[in-house]
Amino acid sequence: MSKPTFIYVIYIRTSVEALWRALIEPEFTKQYWAGTWQESEWKKGAPWRIMIPDGRVGDAGEVLEFEPHRRIVLSWRNEFMPELTAEGFSRLTYELEQQGDMVKLALTHEMLDLPPGPSKFIDAVSSGWPAILSSLKSMLETGESLEATRRWPEGV
Amino acid sequence: MGRPGSQKAEYVYVIYIETTPEKLWHALIDPEMTKDYWGRHANRSDWKPGSPWRHEDYDNASSVRVVGTVLESEAPRRLALTWVSPENASDPAKTSRVTFQIDPMFGSVRLTVTHEDLDDEMLRAISGGWPPILSSLKTLLETGASMPMTRRPWKGRQETEQKGAA
Repeated sequence: MSKPTFIYVIYIRTSVEALWRALIEPEFTKQYWAGTWQESEWKKGAPWRIMIPDGRVGDAGEVLEFEPHRRIVLSWRNEFMPELTAEGFSRLTYELEQQGDMVKLALTHEMLDLPPGPSKFIDAVSSGWPAILSSLKSMLETGESLEATRRWPEGV
Repeated sequence: MGRPGSQKAEYVYVIYIETTPEKLWHALIDPEMTKDYWGRHANRSDWKPGSPWRHEDYDNASSVRVVGTVLESEAPRRLALTWVSPENASDPAKTSRVTFQIDPMFGSVRLTVTHEDLDDEMLRAISGGWPPILSSLKTLLETGASMPMTRRPWKGRQETEQKGAA
């Protein structure tokens, strides 16, 4: 049995360079990731966090690996929902691979400190990532992200 | 959620598409659309509950890859199928089940594909298959053109991928 894990693979008609920028630069993430942006120096060992538009920190951790256009690994803990914070740190891996005129993006989000079994954090990201990554794909392929993902949801 | 008592694996893929439930439903069953995002294959059936369905080469109807029965068909929201290769069609242990659930959500459409009752070998195979097919389906509906890699038969595509990775 493995740790609680969410895996998602999506193919996007773009270049690794464009996808890379879309994953880390605020002007892009604000369009498809609920108005949020990330703050980091983007080098190994640097702190990393997601900022919510109202000023709260959404999630935070550290850059564990950073290989431009290929791979990012982050430690990642939710910081704004106590029941998720209590589950401790997860590890998020993005892997990018150019295949012809498409890029395969593979995302793995796994809990490090929990035994195999249910995880509220993994449940939460399992419903969030498909919407975020679907919108990222729309933004890169059509120029427009999915409308519902452009703003932070009310009441959250 | 597998069936009670089932020890077999379940695979779930969720993707949001800027389209309507009607267009998405049509794209799942119209051979002129599936050929462009589903490795040049067609899904053939009258799509009534209890009817047979088959997944075949668009250019060669004698090359059938998957057969099964339509379990549920509620256009444009829900389509459930049994799924088995023709050579194993009489073996319930080799028969899996696929459900396409279509939900209007946040102004777009959420497609949930659930493939259940899978043994380990089938789980590996379909885990590599659904993401490119469903990614290309989204691209086709949103841009009018599918991703070129998914317009060709499956085998040729895998060879291309292996060369690309080498």
